[in-house]
Amino acid sequence: MDIEQKEDNIDFSSMLASTVHDMKGSLTMLLNTLDEIIVDTKNTNLNIYAQFSKLQYEAKRVNNNLIQLLTIYKMEKSQYNVNIEHYSVSDFLDEQILQSKSLFEFHNITVSLDCHSDLYWYFDRDLLSGVINNVINNIIRYTKDKFSLKAYVADNCLHIELHDNGRGYPKTFATTDSVSHKRVSFATGSTGLGLYFSSLVARAHRNKNETGSIMVNNNSEFGGGLFTIILP
Amino acid sequence: MELDLRNKKILLVDDFSEFRFSVKKMLQSGGAANIDDVSNGEDAIDRMSRKNYDIILCDYNLGQDKKDGQQILEEAKHRGFLKTSTLFIMVTAENTMDMVMGAIEYQPDDYMTKPFTKEVLNNRVSKLLEKKHVLKDIEKAVSREDYKRAIALCDAQLAANPKNAMELFRIKSDALLSLGQYDDAINILEKVLSSRDLPWARLGIGKIYFQKKNYIEAKEHFQEIIGNNKAYMEAYDWLSKTLVELGDQQSAQKTLEEAVALSPKAILRQRALGELALKNNDHDTAEKSFKKSVAMGKTSIYKSAKDYTGLAKTVMNAKKNPVDALTILKDAEKDFQLNPEVMMQTAAMEGVIYKKIGHEGKAKEAIDKASALMEEHGAKVSPDVAMDVAKSFFDVGETEKGQKVMHDIVQNNHDDEAILKKVQDAFDDANLKDVGKEMIASTKQEIIKINNEGVNLVKKGMLVEAIEVFDKAADGLPQNKIVNANAAQALIMIIQKNGKNDKYIYQCKKYLDRLRKIDPNYPKFQQLVKIFGELNAV
Repeated sequence: MDIEQKEDNIDFSSMLASTVHDMKGSLTMLLNTLDEIIVDTKNTNLNIYAQFSKLQYEAKRVNNNLIQLLTIYKMEKSQYNVNIEHYSVSDFLDEQILQSKSLFEFHNITVSLDCHSDLYWYFDRDLLSGVINNVINNIIRYTKDKFSLKAYVADNCLHIELHDNGRGYPKTFATTDSVSHKRVSFATGSTGLGLYFSSLVARAHRNKNETGSIMVNNNSEFGGGLFTIILP
Repeated sequence: MELDLRNKKILLVDDFSEFRFSVKKMLQSGGAANIDDVSNGEDAIDRMSRKNYDIILCDYNLGQDKKDGQQILEEAKHRGFLKTSTLFIMVTAENTMDMVMGAIEYQPDDYMTKPFTKEVLNNRVSKLLEKKHVLKDIEKAVSREDYKRAIALCDAQLAANPKNAMELFRIKSDALLSLGQYDDAINILEKVLSSRDLPWARLGIGKIYFQKKNYIEAKEHFQEIIGNNKAYMEAYDWLSKTLVELGDQQSAQKTLEEAVALSPKAILRQRALGELALKNNDHDTAEKSFKKSVAMGKTSIYKSAKDYTGLAKTVMNAKKNPVDALTILKDAEKDFQLNPEVMMQTAAMEGVIYKKIGHEGKAKEAIDKASALMEEHGAKVSPDVAMDVAKSFFDVGETEKGQKVMHDIVQNNHDDEAILKKVQDAFDDANLKDVGKEMIASTKQEIIKINNEGVNLVKKGMLVEAIEVFDKAADGLPQNKIVNANAAQALIMIIQKNGKNDKYIYQCKKYLDRLRKIDPNYPKFQQLVKIFGELNAV
């Protein structure tokens, strides 16, 4: 009896939070160290450079998934508090590109950013960064050699587009309409989680009667995949 | 502006040495050469007290029962260790909202979430330095409480460059609020709200209605913020204050209980809850809250004797446990290293406890001690502390002693309705309603008479005589806003008339410094500072 009661008393959400906190500490060290090794070996030992770059990609995936899982969990339990503020969009996107700079270099991906420096918008920086980082990590894996980020305002909404020249998104979730998270299938693996997360984040952005959305299709300017997030 | 970290003095605070090492390398790759690093809050504060840092990167979570990043920021700002140009970045492991929730008065310049690469770090630091540079003069004016200049600078920047518009609107509306220009402040905030319902803007509007004593309207704004964003803690604090003004102490307490459940780390909120619960005779909640605020006070600049006296009072009232109550007071004396302001509160409370358990001799001893401390240091303590001691005097039946302290409070705050109301409440509680009414009325009269005497002399052009009257009055009433402001004004007038004179300038400065301490937001003080500055510049 006693033992059972104790087990009931474990607070899963705080256990999850503290475990994730702990794992993130390790991941931070892992990523920082990998970054240092990559810089040190880039011009001296191509073999190690290549291996560690692959490791870096995988570690980032783990980190992204961890953030997504914890955020989704907190959102579903209404424990996540969205913090919308006014930010410079170009500064924000610059930073997202910088975050993956060494991987772009390793894969010889040409990156371009098209965003007016005076463009400011309202969003939750942590949430949107989770979305963009995750899409970028997918693009690094699937694009051939191009990636472009575009941001502009249309119909009173901020549009952020991520174009690549890969094979495009699989038919199962490529759509020209905005994606409802109910239609996301997890059978397709981690991309399913990413889309689910992205649509949750988009929908957490509201202004007056409008709600954010995402679009996934193969209308990229380079003929590959195009991911768009639209925030009111 | 180029990012040049070479000459920047940088402090890293993180309990994880490997992380410090790796961030140090990142900053060095950006050119930084002058980097110190420490693992805990005590060392961080110690370093800041000895060196003027340009950039501080501080981890939020520094381990259990240790000062956290927010407490370090609060203490550093409070003790004046941060220049207005110092960049303070809070580093966190996860989403930052939990930290934002706890923050009340002081906020860092930015938050950064781990992990980040050296490119991101150096880019962010450079962008923030640039922004800090652009806003430098405005922040300086605000920190000198020269709100008029701050507003003029905000307007100039808003016209020239829309880049930091939200920040500028926020600073400008705060400055207008400090100057009492409520309608102008509301206009700006309404403009912000028309583009987006941002909680800080709505909070600003609610605060203005509160100042205007329009409590119903204020309440609606605070409730709307909470409805849209239940993590916006400041809205709970203001809603609770508003409900108290509306006479609904029960709902006010409930509001703070909800806030504390969401964000238990704010000491000021715990204390406010403890005090409300004490008034509502909810001893369980009061005890719980004061215990938490005492514990948090050990690492916080906001620690206060009130947490201990409040806890002692609950323990005494609810549990009839004088031994524990007295121990709590002894702890306070120890924790505050025999600070006289604290000692007068604890001694007075000791008197109350001894009286309750029938130790008349000890009760008298404690009360005499409190009384002597009040006699010696009374002029320097806040009306809050003085009132606390006076209430204890009433509690033990030392009516005369209590009245004397209250009289001093009224003398120094004769135009502050909120304080006068608290004084009257205390008299009511002590069954001295009419005595209190009479004392407040006659004391007000007394001050108004002296003040009018001076004002009449000014009107007759007898400035030297007027200064004499105000000088004498202000010396007896070091905390009275109006008298000190008039003293400064008469001095300014004589300088304007007869030209600069070292003695008058020196005197005038003294009164302005006093006013700054009493209430830097007092509109008349603002005007005087401005004129005085112009006079001195000539």
